[in-house]
Amino acid sequence: MNDSRYVPIAVPELGSSSIRFSLWHVAVGDAVVEGDRVAELVIPGAVFDVSAPVSGTLVARAAQPGDTVVVRQVIGTLREDR
Amino acid sequence: MDRDESNCAENTLPGDSAPLAAYAPLRPLTAYLLGPVDFDTLAAFQRRLVYEVSGDRDRGAVIVCDHPVSITIGRDGSVAHIRPSAEQLALRGWPVRWVARGGGTMLHVPGQVTCYPILALDAFQLTAGRFVKELLAVAVDLVSEFGLTGIADDQCPGVMVAGRRLVHIGTAIRRGVTCYGLIVNVNPDLAPFWDVRCDGASLPMTSLARESPRRVRITTVRQRLVELLVARFGFDRMSVFHTLPTSGPQARHHAFSHGS
Repeated sequence: MNDSRYVPIAVPELGSSSIRFSLWHVAVGDAVVEGDRVAELVIPGAVFDVSAPVSGTLVARAAQPGDTVVVRQVIGTLREDR
Repeated sequence: MDRDESNCAENTLPGDSAPLAAYAPLRPLTAYLLGPVDFDTLAAFQRRLVYEVSGDRDRGAVIVCDHPVSITIGRDGSVAHIRPSAEQLALRGWPVRWVARGGGTMLHVPGQVTCYPILALDAFQLTAGRFVKELLAVAVDLVSEFGLTGIADDQCPGVMVAGRRLVHIGTAIRRGVTCYGLIVNVNPDLAPFWDVRCDGASLPMTSLARESPRRVRITTVRQRLVELLVARFGFDRMSVFHTLPTSGPQARHHAFSHGS
């Protein structure tokens, strides 16, 4: 029985209207633990590490380095381990 | 700096009958007022403090130091901002490091005050953007104490005085905890700034000593900077250290083996 659940990785509220996707710390297929840093965002004057919302495997990337992103935009998807 | 005693008396610890909202945790700040610290030592110490604060989120730390001559390039920086060639930089002994922080290219020289606040954003109800704005406000307040009107640049964060950058800001947030921070030019030799376009600016950086009509002492700048941070972020108490925790007396060999 397939008990997988897909969880989006979304851009958190950063208090800035100018957010740029910087880089991925993990590749598609990599296993991550909840809280691991998976990506980096850049706002003027700061970089921000995005954490994995759940433990699982990265199955999709929806943003690439240099992309402009907005709050709550989905930048990737994790398949949760259960 | 001390907490209002009347408020303390009304607060109760979690588990008592009073609502949790009445409980406001103390916010201690540990300040490390150091002299010159090489960048690799700083980075290792900062990582340790970020780890500690990430597990004890109501406390904070700040490292105040300066670095030997070097160049760091943040996420918004570029080697195009450095005029000397790689060979010339090597001859001068100016190492270049790519650093995972915000902001652009920065030249580190003696005569600067480098200030790295380390605090958990969620404990202070701050976003990353708000934190940068608060640092900008601290920097503007600092330069105003020296009789200067600083203009905050929130697109390329830093503070301008008389059309030139005087304060650079570049931070990073890891596990929700801040690191890196701001650099104030107090009284450095400004000639090397013609060779490095800090944060991509067309004009070289200036300094407090160059612009201020008042006497500028680096110790005063360090002290006021920490005091402004304490006030801005609402820390309740502060402990000050003047050495790195690892730089105390080291165990030394006191006996030597003798050949038989």
